[in-house]
Amino acid sequence: MDVTLGLLPDSPAGDDGGGVPSGGSTTVKSILTKEDNNKNNMVMCSEVSSSYPVGDQNLGDLELGLGLSIGGGGGGGLKGKVVAGGGGWSQYARILTAKDFKQNSCSSSSCSVSIPNSATDSVSPTNGNSVVGWPPVSKAHRMPSLANENKSPTGNRISVTEQTKSKNRTVVINDYSNEKARISDKKYRSVKVNMDGSLIGRKVDLNAHTSYEMLAQTLEEMFFRRRSSTEAAKSSRLLDGTSEFVLTYEDKDGDCMLVGDVPWQMFLSSVKRLRIMKNSESNELAPRFQESHERRRTDVV
Amino acid sequence: MLTFINYRYVVKCKVSYSIETCNVTCFASLSLSSVSWLLFSGFRERNTYFHYWLLSSCKSISSIHHIMDLNQKRTRMVDRVDSVDPDLVSPESTPMCPFPDEVLEPVLSLINSHKDRSSVSLVCKDWYNAERWSRRHVFIGNCYSVSPEIVVGRFPKIRSVTLKGKPRFSDFNLVPEDWGADVYPWLSVLAKAYPFLEELRLKRMAVSDESLEFLAMNFPEFKALSLLSCDGFSTDGLKAIATHCRNLAELDIQENGIDDLGGDWLSCFPETLTTLQVLNFASLNSEVNFNDLEKLVTRCKSLRVLKVNRTINLDQLQKLLLRAPQLTELGTGTFTQDLVTRPVADLEATFGSCKNLLTISGLWDTNSLYLPVIYPACASLTFLNLSCAALRSFELAMLLIHCKSLRRLWVLDTVGDMGLEAVGSWCPLLEELRVFPADPFEQENVAGVTESGFVAVSRGCPKLHYVLYFCHQMTNAAVATVVQNCPGFTHFRLCIMNLGQPDYVTNEPMDEAFGAVVRTCPNLQRLAVSGLLTDLTFEYIGKYAKNLEILSVAFAGSSDLGLKYVLGGCPRLRKLEIRDCPFGNAALLSGLTKYESMRSLWMSACNLTMNGCRVLAKEMPRLNVEVMKDEDSEDSQAHKVYIYRTVAGPRRDAPPFVLTL
Repeated sequence: MDVTLGLLPDSPAGDDGGGVPSGGSTTVKSILTKEDNNKNNMVMCSEVSSSYPVGDQNLGDLELGLGLSIGGGGGGGLKGKVVAGGGGWSQYARILTAKDFKQNSCSSSSCSVSIPNSATDSVSPTNGNSVVGWPPVSKAHRMPSLANENKSPTGNRISVTEQTKSKNRTVVINDYSNEKARISDKKYRSVKVNMDGSLIGRKVDLNAHTSYEMLAQTLEEMFFRRRSSTEAAKSSRLLDGTSEFVLTYEDKDGDCMLVGDVPWQMFLSSVKRLRIMKNSESNELAPRFQESHERRRTDVV
Repeated sequence: MLTFINYRYVVKCKVSYSIETCNVTCFASLSLSSVSWLLFSGFRERNTYFHYWLLSSCKSISSIHHIMDLNQKRTRMVDRVDSVDPDLVSPESTPMCPFPDEVLEPVLSLINSHKDRSSVSLVCKDWYNAERWSRRHVFIGNCYSVSPEIVVGRFPKIRSVTLKGKPRFSDFNLVPEDWGADVYPWLSVLAKAYPFLEELRLKRMAVSDESLEFLAMNFPEFKALSLLSCDGFSTDGLKAIATHCRNLAELDIQENGIDDLGGDWLSCFPETLTTLQVLNFASLNSEVNFNDLEKLVTRCKSLRVLKVNRTINLDQLQKLLLRAPQLTELGTGTFTQDLVTRPVADLEATFGSCKNLLTISGLWDTNSLYLPVIYPACASLTFLNLSCAALRSFELAMLLIHCKSLRRLWVLDTVGDMGLEAVGSWCPLLEELRVFPADPFEQENVAGVTESGFVAVSRGCPKLHYVLYFCHQMTNAAVATVVQNCPGFTHFRLCIMNLGQPDYVTNEPMDEAFGAVVRTCPNLQRLAVSGLLTDLTFEYIGKYAKNLEILSVAFAGSSDLGLKYVLGGCPRLRKLEIRDCPFGNAALLSGLTKYESMRSLWMSACNLTMNGCRVLAKEMPRLNVEVMKDEDSEDSQAHKVYIYRTVAGPRRDAPPFVLTL
């Protein structure tokens, strides 16, 4: 079984025989898989590629950029080691080398360390044993915002029932057996909507809407019972600021923004949660969501 | 016509019951599985069904002496089920069950173990019916093994449901989101069949806020909700529960993927609610309104379990404890303070006045300054959960001196080997130890615990039977010593965190360690292996682990033989979970006939192919063979396979990436 590990080549001075590749270039591929955009709680390693001509000992002017973003509290910090001595590498932080993987020089009888490379799994932080789900410490306190991006049938159910305005909602269970064809490329994009003063939040499927108007109409149907049919003709009051509420959303960075400013597609890609705020409070659009991003690692297995 | 005579116990002890005169009601309430010798007398008629039931449900019974008539002192002896006299136990010999329903149902209603109940239901049709009418609690270990319609069809009078959903490896991010286990389909069926449902306990289910709202609105008698490792809901769902469940007695939220939108759900409990007995919100992050919490605690006089979250500080804890001195289980909030606003002695005295405390957990951020306040409550503690408190060895030692009654202890590995030596010294009654890694992903410069701490505990705690131990190094000799000292292990979960790590002293594989475990511990029910392991480990397991029910394997084994050994042995195996092992189709198919006797099998990142899985699916139609497809895995490889027995057929709600073969 291949062990795919992320390696930075050793110092080309060759002092520890670290193996200067004979090829012309080296691509350092991170062990860890690329994150889904939706999950933001884990460490991401970006791909780093360096290329240098074989035998060229002069690396003084080689700039190697390493981009590591380390998410909240998931694990240890940046594991950098400065190579002592040895050519132009000394001033660059080195993440992993072949020497770091001592434990993999095991006996021939069993050396099947396979590191799954699944794009859908979230990952553990950078280290010599970057394997999904190892050590088996439960994800008991993962990031709260994950629930929003849950591509579950829930969002779909609710968008179906939004059409029925009856008091006793009958929620339709999404029976996948009929919809396999449709689902292939469509992802559910449901986000939570909370209204100030309302007890229960709702979920709305953003992919089921094509414009701000539509979204606002849906939200009005959900939260405000229409009293007269004349209102149906008017454009949404949520958007134009005439109602006592404003529609805001929380974006990827945690900032509270007014809905309607950016193009719809851009909005779709950055929205995390919706909030119907009272007009009086809309003046401060500072980030007001204080999710704690602490994560306890030491939990029940 | 049989008339029932009241019987009384004559002798009652663990392994043999002599029931010369036995009250039928009392008889049924015995835990029969440990009975080995049974004497009962006085039944006027030969009771074949009763014999049959006893023999099938009491595996350790070796003989039953049935005195037919006290006056005549005739005895008939019935041997174990394999050498039984067919005339005696054949159901046909007596046309009618001699127990009238009015007697049978109350008798059976005293039986709580679901295994015993399963046995009871197999005796005959009348007993099956009596059992199903008298059952109040149903436990479903795999929500896809049965459909809600089947459950409500069989059991008309359920008050309490326990449901488990996703495979356990979903805790470690190995199961994609939207895999399923949605509780909503169950709730909608349960609402119609059991409108008076009182309890719902869910583990690893997908629970949405809408489901929680549905639950709150449709079950007027609802009393107890326990959510463990569930996900998909937010605190809004909790608001619905708090607002609408007028008789709520238990709200237990543990370790879920919950969207914490704020602490105002707690304020939704109405002023009229006084029935709360269990409140656990330790895993939520947001601050709750303390006044509302204090009022709630004050008016719920039966509150016995209170586990608050980290936002509750010491001053607030003091107030809560004064209101609820009757607590048996306490989870504190932050257990340190920058400013000492009241003398620490107050809190210490308060702990002293909580005479009923058996469990303490929480204790976030505590240190040697504040930890001593709990000492007055320690003498009677049976469970101490320090997995949130990064204590050092001496801090733990000072604490444990006071904890002489401790049965269960959970700590972080910051306590080190010296801390574990203190455990061995001061806690002779210890039965369960869990040592969690404070920094599981740290590879270098880790202290943690080693084999010497493990051995130290085993020396001082001979009653130890449950261990979960995370470490970076271990030796075969140490494990052998541990099990010599504590041969009563039922749960042995050792996690050597470095992958493929051999015995660090001898550099050999860890095979002999686990060989020692299975040879020395006949009662072993659960085993998790780690370290460098060859097929020899599995040969040992298959050969010796006769009572093993749950086995977890990761990065181990050399070939198909490993899995074949396990599937060929281990007669009691129920759950097998394997990841990243070189087991292929041949191994999978060697267990063909075994899977129906198991709850489930999980294999991920092994050498299985789609063809192999298809063969299995074809041969065993009563199994669901589900393969989870990844975007990057090749089409012929079966990267993640989940196999389980079911009477409900293939899942109807499987997402696109789950293929049922």
